[in-house]
Amino acid sequence: MSSLRIINIEKQYQQTQRKSDPAFSLQPVGLTINEGEFFSLLGPSGCGKTTLLKLVAGLLQADNGEIWVGDANITAVPPEDRRFAMVFQQSLLFPHMTVEDNVAFGLKMQKVGKKQRLADAREMLEHVGLKGFGLRFPDELSGGQQQRVALARALVANPQVLLMDEPFSALDPSLREEMRELLSRIQKQFRVTVLFVTHDREEAFQLSDRIGVMSEGTLLQVGKARDLYERPESRKVASFLGLKNSVEGIVAAGRFISADRSFDFPVEETIERGPCHLILRPEVVQLKILKEDPLEDSIQLSGVIQQLRFNYGFYTGTIQVGIYLLDCSFTSQQAEGLVVGQEIDVLVNKKDLWFVA
Amino acid sequence: MTKTRPFLKSILFTLLFILIGLPFIPLILSSVSFGWQWPNILPESFSFRAWEYVLLGSSGTWQAVSVSLLIAFIVTAVNILLAVPAANALVRYPLRGKWLLEAMLFAPIVIPPFVAVMGIHLTFLRLGLTETVFGVVLAHLSPTLPYMVRAVMISYNTLSIDWEDQARMLGAGSLSRFRHVVLPHLLPGIAAGASLSILISLSQYLITFIIGSGQVVTLPILLFPFISGGDPAIASAYSLLFAGIAILTLIGMDAALKKYYQNKKAGAENG
Amino acid sequence: MWQKTKPYLLLLPAVGTIVLLFFGGLFDGLLKSLGYFPAIGETRFELTAYTDLLRSSEFWESLFLTLRVAALSSVIAGVLGAAVAISLYLLNESAKSGTTQVWHRLFQLPLTIPHLVGGYIIVLLFMQSGFLSKILATIGFIDEIPDFPVLVNDPFGWGIILTYAWKEAPFVSLMIYPVLSRIHRSWRDVSRVFGAGNWSFIREIVLPVMLPAWTIATFIVFVFTFSAFEVPFLLGVTYPSMLPVYSYQLYTSGTLADRPEALAVNILLAILTILLGLVVYYFSKRWNVLKGWD
Repeated sequence: MSSLRIINIEKQYQQTQRKSDPAFSLQPVGLTINEGEFFSLLGPSGCGKTTLLKLVAGLLQADNGEIWVGDANITAVPPEDRRFAMVFQQSLLFPHMTVEDNVAFGLKMQKVGKKQRLADAREMLEHVGLKGFGLRFPDELSGGQQQRVALARALVANPQVLLMDEPFSALDPSLREEMRELLSRIQKQFRVTVLFVTHDREEAFQLSDRIGVMSEGTLLQVGKARDLYERPESRKVASFLGLKNSVEGIVAAGRFISADRSFDFPVEETIERGPCHLILRPEVVQLKILKEDPLEDSIQLSGVIQQLRFNYGFYTGTIQVGIYLLDCSFTSQQAEGLVVGQEIDVLVNKKDLWFVA
Repeated sequence: MTKTRPFLKSILFTLLFILIGLPFIPLILSSVSFGWQWPNILPESFSFRAWEYVLLGSSGTWQAVSVSLLIAFIVTAVNILLAVPAANALVRYPLRGKWLLEAMLFAPIVIPPFVAVMGIHLTFLRLGLTETVFGVVLAHLSPTLPYMVRAVMISYNTLSIDWEDQARMLGAGSLSRFRHVVLPHLLPGIAAGASLSILISLSQYLITFIIGSGQVVTLPILLFPFISGGDPAIASAYSLLFAGIAILTLIGMDAALKKYYQNKKAGAENG
Repeated sequence: MWQKTKPYLLLLPAVGTIVLLFFGGLFDGLLKSLGYFPAIGETRFELTAYTDLLRSSEFWESLFLTLRVAALSSVIAGVLGAAVAISLYLLNESAKSGTTQVWHRLFQLPLTIPHLVGGYIIVLLFMQSGFLSKILATIGFIDEIPDFPVLVNDPFGWGIILTYAWKEAPFVSLMIYPVLSRIHRSWRDVSRVFGAGNWSFIREIVLPVMLPAWTIATFIVFVFTFSAFEVPFLLGVTYPSMLPVYSYQLYTSGTLADRPEALAVNILLAILTILLGLVVYYFSKRWNVLKGWD
């Protein structure tokens, strides 16, 4: 098995003379990416995900730590000898070469004969849906086509790892969708190990086997998309995944009490005592059917509807509970009976309550 | 706007005639004249005597043309070798005292190079470099190198390091990166710099004269006695030839560059 | 260590060449202008060459002539160049880009003409029995050769001025055209909405926009003309002569004693051009001429 192992990689940037580049440091990162896995690094811009990617590529020198592929320590191997491939945000096709020559470039560097490498290039172009485009020049292609060529060029030499740095962020949204599907299909077909960097959580969720969430130079949490979403380990992870309903409070004597005391309910003994935040996903907040008693395994909250927005087949409501504004989802049917300013009760199943420090 | 166009065009045509057309008329007429008395607007009779002398006679024209071009091309080749790494360093690396290094490299644009050449003349004399093509080549380097550095720097400025990173990730070592990525990108800049370098080298009179001491005969050296009071017909013919060679060299560089890209395209299309 | 020294090693050949051939020459000249010349046994430093020079009226006349010729050539080149650039810009606004390209190329022709040839063109045009004189005589404007003013090899330097005005006008236009081409088409529309015609558009928008670049370009022509040799050598008179020619005359006069003086002229010339160059640099940085805006 040739998994990619990142062992305590670390990088410090000194404050440069220009005031606009602040000092930045990538905290030690340890990570193992399995062969054939699609792994995404997700985080806001400036969080260090591209730095980490370039460290893995070897384009940056790490201060500390090691990178292994299978049984080989490649930390000191220069990038051109690592047999990795990389797709950047811009397609970076060489403008003076045809599409075919661009795709065959990696093979040429490996001293593959001309006939063989052009045949391989053409075959790979077919895989990315660009059969017959080989003799054109890059400037004759659209942005999406260029990025397909870049993908073909990266894959043709059968790289050990494919690194991708926000490859679709410069494309139109509709095109982006198409490219994700293509990438997903090709990745499974070639079983290539992918390390993918993005700030778009939808993209990461759609493509990845596992995701690592990064912020301010630290890898916060690694997991499958659903685990991250339902069980974020920190408020940062929660907020980056779009979980805005966060209630500050304290767990003591078997109860959770919010700072303004509008939330007060018993919790299980397994929850750690002390100050914490309650994270409520929008879809677990359920409208209480009138006159029905609170269910045994749910908690009940009372609030006032502040806002109702139609949102692709369902409604997003904002309910004020105490000093907190909670987002929740309603079906169109449920929303029909609601008006802004109305007082309502909502229920949350106890198993859906999630506390973070 | 439609009203202004004819007006604009007539202004431009007038300017074009006065600035570009008119100045060449007497030069051309004089080169084919056989006696041209005042106040006739056209020469009394025409003859190709001057052209025959310049092009066919034992006037040393072709010798001078080849010496001029030889010097210009050597100077330019050396400039390319010196300028490419220098421009790379100036554009891409953080340097201490960068302003000083740039000021030194660009100083010959401002300070007239003959000042340095007169200063170094006696030293060259002692080293046996005067009266040699090699010495003249050395003297032509400082007036031309700054333009080459400048032109290549502009090219480097538009070459993002991402291109080389991309080539690296595809397995290209440093030589391959330079050959396949950097050089094609720099080529237009190098061609522009080379054009300037050739043009400047071709038109040097004083420093060639000081270092060459009249023994290294380039076109300007050959031309000067004629235009400062020699036979006007021959002087005109030489002037036209000289200007023509300068322009042809520039057009040639331009065409070669275009052809390079077209060949790439055509080669690709033929399979 | 390699990473730190690498850029300096890359610069070494180019900087070394310039230092050796150019600054070496300047330094060599400076030493000899101070009378330090071990080859002929002179190892003392003295300022006699400079004091003699500053006391001679010839030097001051030469300097004055040089300044006047440089100033007039650069202003005329500036005006011509601006006229060409503005006309081309207006043409580009109202025509396909292909046509303007051709016009551009045509107007750049004088730039590629070697200086000596440019000088000779002016000789043929403007000498007393030259082409213009012939035209004027044919249409009956003048009767004899002496009626035509002396414009070539004249003490005022008109021949030199005309040559540089002609040769450098395309340079000025080349420098300011890119600035003009950044004037947005929409500004034209906006000014039209406010009722500005072609002339007021030029006066209110085009001229102010190009002024910094124009000033710098004209000044560069000034510095260049200031230190040029070939054209004044061909078109000037022996006395008074422009500084570079004056230096050359001293250098080749035959007596070894004049050489330090020639080199002293050179050093003063170099210092003056450096000062002028610094002025150009300062204002071009300050007005951001070389960068422009988006």
